[in-house]
Amino acid sequence: MSATHSAAAEPSGAGDDSVARLVDVHYAVDGKPIFRGLDIAIRRGEVTAIMGPSGTGKTTLLRLVTGQVFADAGQVIVDGRDVGSLDRRALYALRRRMGMLFQNGALLTDLDVFENVAFPLREHTRLPEHLIRNVVLMKLHAVGLRGAAELYPQQLSGGMGRRVALARAIAMDPDILIYDEPFAGLDPISMGVVLRLIRQLNDALSISSIVVTHDVREISQIADTSYILSDGQVVASGKRKELESSSSEIVRQFIGGHADGPVPFHYPAPDYHEQLLGGAVS
Amino acid sequence: MTGLGAELLASAQSFVRTVGATTRFLLHLLALTPAGLLRFRLVVEQVYNAGALSLVIIMTSGLFVGMVLGLQGYDLLQRFGSEDSLGTGAALALLRELGPVVTALLFAGRAGTSLASEIGLMRATDQLSAMEIMAVDPMRRVVLPRFLGGAISVPLLTAVFIAVGLFGVQLVGVQFLGVDQGSFWSQMRGAVELGDVTEGLIKGAVFGVACSLVAVYEGYNAEPTAEGVGRATTRTVVISAVLTLILDYILTAIML
Repeated sequence: MSATHSAAAEPSGAGDDSVARLVDVHYAVDGKPIFRGLDIAIRRGEVTAIMGPSGTGKTTLLRLVTGQVFADAGQVIVDGRDVGSLDRRALYALRRRMGMLFQNGALLTDLDVFENVAFPLREHTRLPEHLIRNVVLMKLHAVGLRGAAELYPQQLSGGMGRRVALARAIAMDPDILIYDEPFAGLDPISMGVVLRLIRQLNDALSISSIVVTHDVREISQIADTSYILSDGQVVASGKRKELESSSSEIVRQFIGGHADGPVPFHYPAPDYHEQLLGGAVS
Repeated sequence: MTGLGAELLASAQSFVRTVGATTRFLLHLLALTPAGLLRFRLVVEQVYNAGALSLVIIMTSGLFVGMVLGLQGYDLLQRFGSEDSLGTGAALALLRELGPVVTALLFAGRAGTSLASEIGLMRATDQLSAMEIMAVDPMRRVVLPRFLGGAISVPLLTAVFIAVGLFGVQLVGVQFLGVDQGSFWSQMRGAVELGDVTEGLIKGAVFGVACSLVAVYEGYNAEPTAEGVGRATTRTVVISAVLTLILDYILTAIML
């Protein structure tokens, strides 16, 4: 892959090894276009980062992949099946093969840590209690929180909550693990822990990971492939070095963290002097 | 006038849409009910949350409503020298009107708001979305048990309210004001029919379904913000109270 828009627009180049593909996806909310011909390929066994400035539809992309919303045009293909054409039963069957880590963890607040991780197992399997106990303890051990099994979500720090949610996401041994802003609001230690877990789980469980984030430096350490979205399209994709050598202004602004550029510092507003002198509010 | 007319039309359209959406929501819940009853433990948990935890407020209110009924009834009946009929009057009032109506209003205030805010907060904190991603239907796992729990609780709470209310009437009428105990109970037993008891319990069941439906519908469809959950909670109380009184009139007219 190259760090150019045109190359990113050919996801089929990923061949048969893609676990999920978005092909010429168009999606709008209340008439406002979010995606205008989005093409992305998520390769099997890789950690794929989806990045971009706030409001570019990164989370919406995850909602398309998980079938929470459907594309207005184009195809979202997950594990060979067009998500938009699945009925509810088939969609739920597909979702059983996915795990998702929400930005805020989304732990069930009326259940303790153990029961949160056990939740999908109890809902989808008829495993005997001692097996559920063992599986839950193994998953909690994998994220380093076996000792927190009896705590409630309210008693956990942000980083711990994120790790419990991760343990819950891998409880059913998914094929695809999806992370929505996994580093948001975490201290450097927790961020490092989550970062390492994403890579380790991906390799140890032989799964495919999609990480939506705007923490460029962190995710660059572990991502195999990265996509940068802007204005409803992929503006760059590839390995870390390919992105860094991109000539695209938006990519350079995003990676460099510059306050002003193609993404302006100021929200569109009337002329500053005129507004001050005229006293108009809007 | 044109503006007012357009506003009225928009309000009417919105009302019809809401009624339609709520009816579809109820039908969806009813369709899920047989499967939901198979996981009865979830329903029992909600009967505990909505019903057992409401017992204190229901019993306290029932006691004082009964005591006030005793005082007012005695004051009225003694003017005609028929204070022995206090038991009959109070029992009929409690069984047919006060029991189910006041219980439903208290349920809406205590458990209905709790249900609406709990489900609304689950929506706002992505817990319902997380369930969807885990291929767990939130309607089946979260909404249905709470709806059934509430619908089962209200008639039971109504029975408790009526029993405690009658104790309150007896306490004031017989123990404090000196109405003859034998006349109090025997006249009550003679005048109250099975139909009066049934009427109260039918009303309790209908109010239970209505109040629980409003609570889970408002919570499930709450805007996922702090203000949205607050508005849903307020709407739950207001709509439940008005709906209870309207249904009470309709049911009374039918059963009289």
